Amino acid sequence: MSGLKSAVKRMSQLLIVLLGVSLVTFLVSHVVPGDPARMLLGQRADAQTLENLRHVMGLDKPVWLQYFDYLGGLLQGDLGISIRTQRPVLSELLTYFPATIELTLFAMGFAVISGVGLGLLSAAYRDTPIDHGTRVLAILGVSTPLFWLGLMVLLLFYKHLGWLPGSGRLDSFINPPTQITGLYVLDSILTGDWVALKSSILHLILPTICLGYIQLATIARLVRASMIEVLEQDYIKTALSNGIPRYRIIYRHALRNALIPTVTLIGLTFGELLGGAILTETIFTWPGMGKYVVDSISFLDFPAIMGFTILVATIYVIINMVVDLLYPILDPQIKG
Amino acid sequence: MKKVLVLIISILVLTSLAGCAKSANTPQESATTQDKSLVIATAADLGTIDPAVAMDNSAWKISYPAYERLVNFKGSSTEVEPGLAKSWSISPDGLTWTFILEENHKFADGTSLDAAAVKYSFDRLMTIKKGPSDAFPSLESVTVVDPQTVVFKLKTVFPAFLSTLATNGGGIVNPAVMKEEKDGDLGQNWLANHTAGSGPYVLSEWIPEQSLKLTVNPNYSGDKPKLASINVKIIKDPSSQRMALEKGDVDIAENIPVDQLKELKSNQDLIVFNTPSLMVDYVYLNTQKPGLDNPKVRQAISYAVDYQGIISSVWQGNATQMRGPVPQGLWGYQSDLFQYTKNLEKAKSLLQEAGVKDLTLNFMYSDNKAWWEQEAQIIQNNLSEIGIKVNLQKIAYAAQREKIDAGDFDLTLGVWSPDYADPYMFMNYWFDSDNFGLAGNRAFYKNDQVDQLVRKAASVNDQAQRTDLYKQAQELIMQDAPYVFLVQKNYQLPMRKSVQGFVFNPMLQDMYNFEMMNK
Amino acid sequence: MAQFRYLRYFTKRYPLTVTGAVIIFLVVMVSLAAPLVSPHNPYTLNLTDRLKPPGSIYLLGTDELGRDILSRIIYGARLSLLAGVGIVGIAGLFGIVIGSVSGLLGGKVDQAVMRLMDIMLAFPSLVLALALSAALGPNFRNSILAIAIVKIPVYVRLVRGQALSIKERQFVKAAQTFGAPKVWIISRHIIPNCLSPVVVQATLGIGEAILIAATLSFIGLGAQPPAAEWGAMVSMGRIYLLDQWWYASFPGIAIFITVIGFNLFGDGVRDMLDPRFHN
Repeated sequence: MSGLKSAVKRMSQLLIVLLGVSLVTFLVSHVVPGDPARMLLGQRADAQTLENLRHVMGLDKPVWLQYFDYLGGLLQGDLGISIRTQRPVLSELLTYFPATIELTLFAMGFAVISGVGLGLLSAAYRDTPIDHGTRVLAILGVSTPLFWLGLMVLLLFYKHLGWLPGSGRLDSFINPPTQITGLYVLDSILTGDWVALKSSILHLILPTICLGYIQLATIARLVRASMIEVLEQDYIKTALSNGIPRYRIIYRHALRNALIPTVTLIGLTFGELLGGAILTETIFTWPGMGKYVVDSISFLDFPAIMGFTILVATIYVIINMVVDLLYPILDPQIKG
Repeated sequence: MKKVLVLIISILVLTSLAGCAKSANTPQESATTQDKSLVIATAADLGTIDPAVAMDNSAWKISYPAYERLVNFKGSSTEVEPGLAKSWSISPDGLTWTFILEENHKFADGTSLDAAAVKYSFDRLMTIKKGPSDAFPSLESVTVVDPQTVVFKLKTVFPAFLSTLATNGGGIVNPAVMKEEKDGDLGQNWLANHTAGSGPYVLSEWIPEQSLKLTVNPNYSGDKPKLASINVKIIKDPSSQRMALEKGDVDIAENIPVDQLKELKSNQDLIVFNTPSLMVDYVYLNTQKPGLDNPKVRQAISYAVDYQGIISSVWQGNATQMRGPVPQGLWGYQSDLFQYTKNLEKAKSLLQEAGVKDLTLNFMYSDNKAWWEQEAQIIQNNLSEIGIKVNLQKIAYAAQREKIDAGDFDLTLGVWSPDYADPYMFMNYWFDSDNFGLAGNRAFYKNDQVDQLVRKAASVNDQAQRTDLYKQAQELIMQDAPYVFLVQKNYQLPMRKSVQGFVFNPMLQDMYNFEMMNK
Repeated sequence: MAQFRYLRYFTKRYPLTVTGAVIIFLVVMVSLAAPLVSPHNPYTLNLTDRLKPPGSIYLLGTDELGRDILSRIIYGARLSLLAGVGIVGIAGLFGIVIGSVSGLLGGKVDQAVMRLMDIMLAFPSLVLALALSAALGPNFRNSILAIAIVKIPVYVRLVRGQALSIKERQFVKAAQTFGAPKVWIISRHIIPNCLSPVVVQATLGIGEAILIAATLSFIGLGAQPPAAEWGAMVSMGRIYLLDQWWYASFPGIAIFITVIGFNLFGDGVRDMLDPRFHN
């Protein structure tokens, strides 16, 4: 199958999946008990006004027609109006998007760099305390309640030691850097705003570590496994017996091949991180999409909850597709 | 790998050159901070601030100082004083009110505020017909006589009318907002996050979920406010608010739990403002439900609740038990009215008299108020002591309101604070059987005698006569016990010692007199 | 004596697995014996003793209504175990039914089912669980149901794979040519053959299931007050974190230890039963 053809096939699968995603979010948001019209109007509206609004919002139409309206809206980027803030959900999500992306990227960077490092170390020093250590770390990683870890980290570094800030993206007396990308670290570098740079990096440390830690262990285990597999290949063994130094073999040959499977993991990790961001942002008062959705839950703000769900699913699906498409390019052996 | 690095670096360099955007934290800017700014931490971002739409005190905190009204609440009292209107007269039948406007009031854009703007604002309010318009149930029409004279015609006598003009909904909106109208919304979308009034401040910045900024209205007709700007920071987590207050990052923190105020009081740099308010916290008993339709059962419930336990634990002593529906501090309050106290024997014998056994009730609440969860659990425990089994049911605030409106609950919790200084806000909203559901009678309580009394009280202007009518109604109500009257809570607000001039008005709960404040 | 020696050998050979098994055993015992081992009633209010620090009367302190935190943690073990087992149980059951039917029938049905599973896997699991749970209405039962639904695809894929390979075997083909009903083939051949991988997967999944259930409770979508549920307790304790550190800390430790137990044990079981994962 040619690359183009497989790409087209993947794209059509993607469309079907996204259509399904929209159907799921639609169904979920239409079995809810709350009446969106009533929420928008407030407590003392009379029946007639309520009926009018239900009509304007299309709530009196048959369900399948409502789905087509919903789908039509989605295609134009219309995720509905937030019940809580009465503003368009998409534009709200987009204002919180950079904060979430900044946190997720930092957590990803942290998890990938230290995960790959730890994975390599434990493969190189197999069955030594280092290896056992990462194994224990991996188990701890998947067993820690992220929300609780966040609280404990806050208690230690913020309350007791007072080393790091525990909420928000910047100290409250600092103006956000002039917006270019919405990522504070990048924006403050671009505008040479060192005050904001320092503050935003300090604010990123705790949430990044908490969010990244859980994924770090998974990545380390995978890198270790694929590294060991590569190290047992014949050509590596030959190279070793020819007297080429071990670190050179690891660096030159093994690393490259071992990292390829890790790339697929990045797609999956990204989804997990977006999910984890819900908790991290809540604990660290990080003004991102995750905190927005948790705040929306107590208001039964379904347009907001579903808007977030569909946006995250879309990002997740697209990233996984990109990773799938990149995979053959990175690994010449898989070309089919 | 190297290529990627080069690419990234060149992109960075290019954007920084091309953008050449100014740093938001340049040294000069931070040096010129002679202009005083007050910083307030609040837990949640605000909804719409359109005076014709917003029904929530936290949104009013922004809109109230951005608009002016015909009359104002006077200081911390429940009385009104002239505002935009320097004087007014009433026709003998009480149905025609003529207001003479002060001159020289200007909107923030420089256009002058005249009778046409007053008419426009009230026509807009009544056309949009959302929550705030309910404060004007008898308003028929507003007419312009000349630029300084405007006449309000009422359908029926409404004794609280003057007081309702001081509510947030009575704010005068610049008719120029019609330029921003979309799809016939009378500018609702635009006014949801903009201001267009003549008040001392204008909203100059709103970063969703982060902060709002008010700055002085250059065309304000009154004395120039001392605080050049007000910053409202959204900090949801109470612990973070507390740290920010202790550090001095914020001057006022709105959402610190009662439990932590004790710690704050011991801090030299802080004071905790503490004053009685007119906000009450009470339980609705659905009087239409089997079991609860029996007044004896409702009395038993009122006898079972541990009022003092709730006050000392949940409120840490910063609340008083309600004595009937009308809170202390509002006229119509009866200092000698019967009050329920915890008496398990009495409660049990009342249940026995009622012949009710093995009663199971659902207690619905939401997280709209942080203390409800504690109160619900305490009451659940109290009722189990007299053999009533209570199932707690925590639901979303939206769903709670919907179920209250439909009468789909047994017990649930609510708070109420008056928007204008008249017992009408309690007696007629809560007990008139025309107001079933969210409108106010959330116990679905119907007593023909009470209906007659409160309706009569709402149709005469004489305060002594009204007090007496309301008193008779309250006595009947206490016997019927349609609500459990829990507590009237204190208004507590921790702030830096440097904050000066804050005056709390119970009609303006969670709002500030920024134009009089300083730091 | 021989059994004892075997146990010692086992402990030495698989120390982590045994640790996991011991933790699970303890948690199960504590939750069964909750009324006997808890020092106080977990639901009795004591308004005069609210927010007391750990001490001799209340070993782990009290909460905002004066309830003993240790006793609440002990009773909380019941809910968490119920959540963990309930989730993998429901998901496994639906997974077996859907997966085996889909695998056996093949064709359009199989295509449609697998598409549906793809769609469900297109959501990060916590995000979908959160949306479903919010839609069903926040309570403990619904949160278990929501997480179980999210986890179904894992089991469907597993069982379908097994079903596909079993379908090709001689004895199943023979049964089909003799006109054996599909129900019979599924119950007689497919289910028994895929039971052991499902059990391994389920054992591995319990820890994660407990974690997600506690997470939903923390967000407010799971167990509701006054239930003594660990995630909900951390959530309430968060308000008091700075002054009453014990309130949020201890229930979190309980989650942490229990989940570690299941993960260690699950890992060990997988290693033993599935030679591919052997080190």
